[in-house]
Amino acid sequence: MEENVKKSSGQNLGIAALVTAIVTFVLAAIPCVGLIAIIPGIIAIVLASVGLSQASKNDSPRGLLVAGLIIAIIACMISFSQIFVAGKIAEKANKWPNRIEEIVNDVQSDVLKDLEDANVSIKVQSGDEKVEINTNVNKKDREQTLEDLEMDKKSDNDSATVTISIGK
Amino acid sequence: MVSLLKKVRSDPYLTINIVFAGVILLIIAYSGIFSPVKNNYPVTCFHEQITGEPCVSCGLSHSFSLILRGKFDEAYEWNIYGMRVFLFFMAQLFMRILFSFVYARNHDSRKQLIIFDIVASIIIFFLAFHQFLVYIIKYS
Repeated sequence: MEENVKKSSGQNLGIAALVTAIVTFVLAAIPCVGLIAIIPGIIAIVLASVGLSQASKNDSPRGLLVAGLIIAIIACMISFSQIFVAGKIAEKANKWPNRIEEIVNDVQSDVLKDLEDANVSIKVQSGDEKVEINTNVNKKDREQTLEDLEMDKKSDNDSATVTISIGK
Repeated sequence: MVSLLKKVRSDPYLTINIVFAGVILLIIAYSGIFSPVKNNYPVTCFHEQITGEPCVSCGLSHSFSLILRGKFDEAYEWNIYGMRVFLFFMAQLFMRILFSFVYARNHDSRKQLIIFDIVASIIIFFLAFHQFLVYIIKYS
């Protein structure tokens, strides 16, 4: 009886490890879900390792455990390689650097646009006294102001010219 | 019934076969429950999420669901390797059931049966998944 228990020591762990390892292997071979396969892969390695340590203590058969461990390690390697696959595809499609640049540009243009059309309102209140300053930095308003200033300058220049001609 | 369960539990090969048959039935149930019309699949492609580019196995769940519903043309449109992978799972389900019966009845040729099962399963696996493996090797 004791001999039977000794012989089957680690056997259940071996079955669990082998089943998990094979499922991991199939999952790892499917690129869509290959990355998740690393989780059952690690579980299978742990199960097989624990089973192997038990089996070596009791001198029981290790065939299933070794098979489970090898398949799990190969499956984990395939699963881990999916990270590089994703990286290569992204690099090939020129997605990551371009996307980051696009996002930065979008944010920059949004901020500039917001600043251009911003309405600034400052309110200072102390007891009953209240001071309110309203201003806007609207792009159109600024353009209008610039045009007005230019017109004023131009008219000043015109008047200056007139003055000179009188002097002659 | 109890003696059959005891027999199954005491033999690793039978236990593994039954567990795999259960896993394959779960895959079939997954394909049957989730509908390609509603597009309510819980599993999404990690590659597509990370890179924005579809990978070689994208549309496999849709393909499985459509095969189960008998829409083979549409299944091919979703994923051209869908039928191969589906047939792999069906073949495995058939093999698990058949080999379990053969194993239980023939005590003399058990070792040969296990070796045949391993070799046949590896060959069928590579036939079904070789395009996916080529894709992984190509990009890693």
